[in-house]
Amino acid sequence: MAAGVAAWLPFARAAAIGWMPVASAPMPAPPRDKRRTQDGLIILNVSGSRFQTWRNTLERYPDTLLGSTERDFFYHEETNEYFFDRDPDIFRHILNFYRTGKLHYPRHECISAYDEELAFFGIIPEIIGDCCYEEYKDRRRENAERIEDDEDKDNSNDLPPPDMSFRETMWRAFENPHTSTMALVFYYVTGFFIAVSVMANVVETVPCGKTQNRVEMSCGDRYALAFFCLDTACVMIFTVEYLLRLMAAPNRFKFVKSVMSVIDVVAIMPYYIGLVMSDNEDVSGAFVTLRVFRVFRIFKFSRHSAGLRILGYTLKSCASELGFLLFSLTMAIIIFATVMFYAEKGSTASKFTSIPAAFWYTIVTMTTLGYGDMVPKTIVGKVFGSICSLSGVLVIALPVPVIVSNFSRIYHQSQRAEKRRAQKKTRLARIHATKSGGTNAYLQYKRNGLLAETEEEACKEAGQALVCKANPVFETEHHHLLHCLEKTTNHEFVDEQTFKSSCLEVSMVKAPSRSSSISSATSGGGGGLSSCCSRRNKRKSFTVSNANMAGRRGSVQELSTIQIRERPITNSRSSLNAKFDETVRLNSEPPYLTAAVISMPTPPVTTPEGDESASTPDFLQSNIVRVSAL
Amino acid sequence: MSDNCLSAHLPGQGLMGVFLRQRVCVTDSVEDELEFALARHRPEGLEQLEAQTRFSRKELQILYRGFKNECPSGVVNEDTFKDIYSQFFPQGDASMYAHFLFNAFDSDHNGCVSFEDFVLGLSVLLRGSVQEKLNWAFNLYDINKDGYITKEEMLDIMRAIYDMMGKWTYPLLKEETPRQHVDIFFQKMDKNRDGVVTIDEFIDCCQNDENIMKSMQLFENVI
Repeated sequence: MAAGVAAWLPFARAAAIGWMPVASAPMPAPPRDKRRTQDGLIILNVSGSRFQTWRNTLERYPDTLLGSTERDFFYHEETNEYFFDRDPDIFRHILNFYRTGKLHYPRHECISAYDEELAFFGIIPEIIGDCCYEEYKDRRRENAERIEDDEDKDNSNDLPPPDMSFRETMWRAFENPHTSTMALVFYYVTGFFIAVSVMANVVETVPCGKTQNRVEMSCGDRYALAFFCLDTACVMIFTVEYLLRLMAAPNRFKFVKSVMSVIDVVAIMPYYIGLVMSDNEDVSGAFVTLRVFRVFRIFKFSRHSAGLRILGYTLKSCASELGFLLFSLTMAIIIFATVMFYAEKGSTASKFTSIPAAFWYTIVTMTTLGYGDMVPKTIVGKVFGSICSLSGVLVIALPVPVIVSNFSRIYHQSQRAEKRRAQKKTRLARIHATKSGGTNAYLQYKRNGLLAETEEEACKEAGQALVCKANPVFETEHHHLLHCLEKTTNHEFVDEQTFKSSCLEVSMVKAPSRSSSISSATSGGGGGLSSCCSRRNKRKSFTVSNANMAGRRGSVQELSTIQIRERPITNSRSSLNAKFDETVRLNSEPPYLTAAVISMPTPPVTTPEGDESASTPDFLQSNIVRVSAL
Repeated sequence: MSDNCLSAHLPGQGLMGVFLRQRVCVTDSVEDELEFALARHRPEGLEQLEAQTRFSRKELQILYRGFKNECPSGVVNEDTFKDIYSQFFPQGDASMYAHFLFNAFDSDHNGCVSFEDFVLGLSVLLRGSVQEKLNWAFNLYDINKDGYITKEEMLDIMRAIYDMMGKWTYPLLKEETPRQHVDIFFQKMDKNRDGVVTIDEFIDCCQNDENIMKSMQLFENVI
C-alpha cells in the first residue's frame, strides 16, 4: 500500500461507522495505540546537508533503516540530529521515497553507488517506480555484463592454477595463444597454413599454359602433384590440430558440437573422402562438389580474428531481424514477379517467360543491381518495374540499422575489453609500486624499531624508498600488528628483491603439487612450518579473490618473458630454522623450467586473524610472505 | 491544459491531422479551463475549519497534509476516492461502497469532495454525538436522499459491503446472503412494516440496540 494512502487509514476507519447499524455481530475491540508518538520533525544530517521530515513520514516503512530503531545508532546527541556519512545527492531520492512512496533512479548516478546506498538504507531496489525501473534494470545488466567480461578476461589471461595437468595446459594454450610462446607459435603456424591452403585452392584454378590440344590448362592440372602435396601437408596439419584440440578439450562432447569444430571437420573432410573415393567417372561430379567445401578452410580464420567472430556473433544475435528481412523480401519478390509476369505477358519476345523467371528480375531490381538482362517493354511493365525498385530500397533499408547497431554494441564491448587489458599493465605496475611501498615502510619500521636481522640488510635500500604518508599513528599500529603476525608464525616479511634473489639462487624445483587454498590455510590453523608444508602438498585450486590476485599478478606480469614454474622453495631463512624438517625432501626434486606461468604461491601459513592479515600477506612461498599495503 | 494539447500532436497526421489537432486543442482547452477552476481548490482558513469542526488545529494540519499528499489538486474526484479506498480492501471490490461513501461525503453534490467536505464528514464520524453519527449512517444508506431507506437501496448497500469481502471467505459467500442480511435488518428496523425505514425508526431502533451503541464509540481515537 502506498505510503500516502496510509495517511487515509483514519478516514477509512471512521467511515466504518457506516457498517455498524447493519452489523450482525458485535465489533472487536480497537487496538490500543500504545506508542502514540508525537509527530515531530526529525533532522537528518547527511554529510552536512540537512534534511528534515516528519517522524511519521519515516515510519511509514518500518523495515528500512530510517523507519526503524536502527536509525538510533546514528543519533548525534550534541546536535540532536541523526548523522549519516553518506552521499547527500542520492539520499535525496531515498528521502523522496518516504515522502511519495515512489523510488526513482537518477540517470546520471553510477549504478553501483546507487545500489550501495539503497543497501545501506535497507531499501530493496525492486520497488523502483515504473518510470525509472527499466532504466535501472538496463544499467544494472550492463554493469554486470561488464564486470563479467572483466572477470572472464582476467581469469583466462592470468595466472593459471599451478597444478594443471598437461591436458589442461594444452587446452589453455589453444584457447589463449598469448599465454605461452609455444601456443603463439602454434597459432601463427596454423594461421599460415590456412592462408597457404586457401591460396592454393585459388591458384589451382588459374589458367596457366596450354596442353598440346590447345586446351586451356589450369595450374592445378599442370602441377597436379605439387598441389596434391601441398594439400596433403595442410590437411595433415589441420588434422593434427583438430585431434590435439579434441584431446585437450575439457568437455569433448561440447567441443565436437561447437561451431569451430564443425568448420574444422568440414575443412578436412573433402580430402579424406577424395582419398577414399576411387577415380570413378560417376562420382567425380560429387567429388567436384566436395572440393568446394575446401573453401570453408577460410572460416578457420575466425579463431585468429576477433572481428570475424564478432561479425558471426552479430549475425547470430540479429537472427530475427534477418529473418524478417528475408520474409518481407520474399513476399515482395513474389508479388512483383507475378505482377511483372502478367504485365509483360502481352509483349513479344518477352524474357518474362514464367513467374519464377520473373523472380530474377525482381531480385535484381529490388536490390538496385539492375543487370539489364531482363527489362520490361510494356508501359505497364515499366510502371510496375519502377515501383518495384523503389520499394526494394525501402524494404532493405529497414532492418539494416538494427543489425548495424547490434554490431556496433558488440564491437564496442570487445574494444572496451581490449582497452582494459592494455591498461591493466600500467595499472598493475602502479598497484605494485604502492604495495611495495607499504612493504618497504614496514621493513623500515622494523629496521628502525626493534629487530636486527641480518637478512633485513638486503632490504635496506628498498626500505629507504618510501616514507609513511598521512597517518603515522595508523601506520605504527599497523606495523605492530604485522610484527605480531611475524612473531606468531615465526616467519618474516621480506620485500620483493630479496625474495626473488633467494628464489633464483635456490634450485628450481619441480612442483608436483602445490598451492593450497586459503580455506585449507584456515583449516590448518596455528603457527608452525609443518602445517605449511603439509598444506603445500595438497592439491587444491585457488579460491583467492581477485583482490588478492592483483598483487601477485603484478609480480608475474613483470616476469612475462621468462616464466618460471617454481616449487615453493626453502629460503635461506627457513634453513636456519631447526623446525623445518621437510626441507630435505623438498630440495631433492629436480629443477623444472617450463614455459608456464608462475604458479600461485600458497596463502599465509597461519589463519589470518581479522581482515588485516588476510589481505596483507599476499602469498607465501615456502614461508616467505609478501606484504601488500593496506 | 497545454500538456493535453501537446499530447494530441500525433506525428505524421497529414493535412487532416492538422485540422483535427486544432479542433481538439480548442475543445480541450475549454474543458481544461473548467477543470482548472475546479482543480485549484484551496480550503478555507484554518480558523474557520477549527470553528466548524471539532478537530484541533494540529489535527487539522495532519489531516490536511495527508489529504493534500494524495490529492495535490485539493479535491478528490470519485475515481481517486475509489482508488484510495480500494487500497484498504485488496481482497474484494470496494468500488461500489466507495461510490456510496463518496456520495455521503459529497454534501454539496458537486461531484468532488473538497477538504472541507472531507473534514466535516470526519468530524461527525469521529467527534460527533451518537445522534449525529446515526444520522450520517442513515444518510449513507439513503441512496436517493429522499428520507426513506427502501429494501432495494439497502440491498445495494449490503451487496456493496459484501463485495468488499471478495471471493475467498469462510464460510462461502452465497448469492442470497446479502438479501438475507437485508431481511434481518428490515425485520429489526422497520417497526410499522411499511417496507421502508424512516430516520426516526432507524435512530430509535439503533438507540435501543446495545451492540450498535457500543460500536458507535469504537473509532473515537482514530486521529
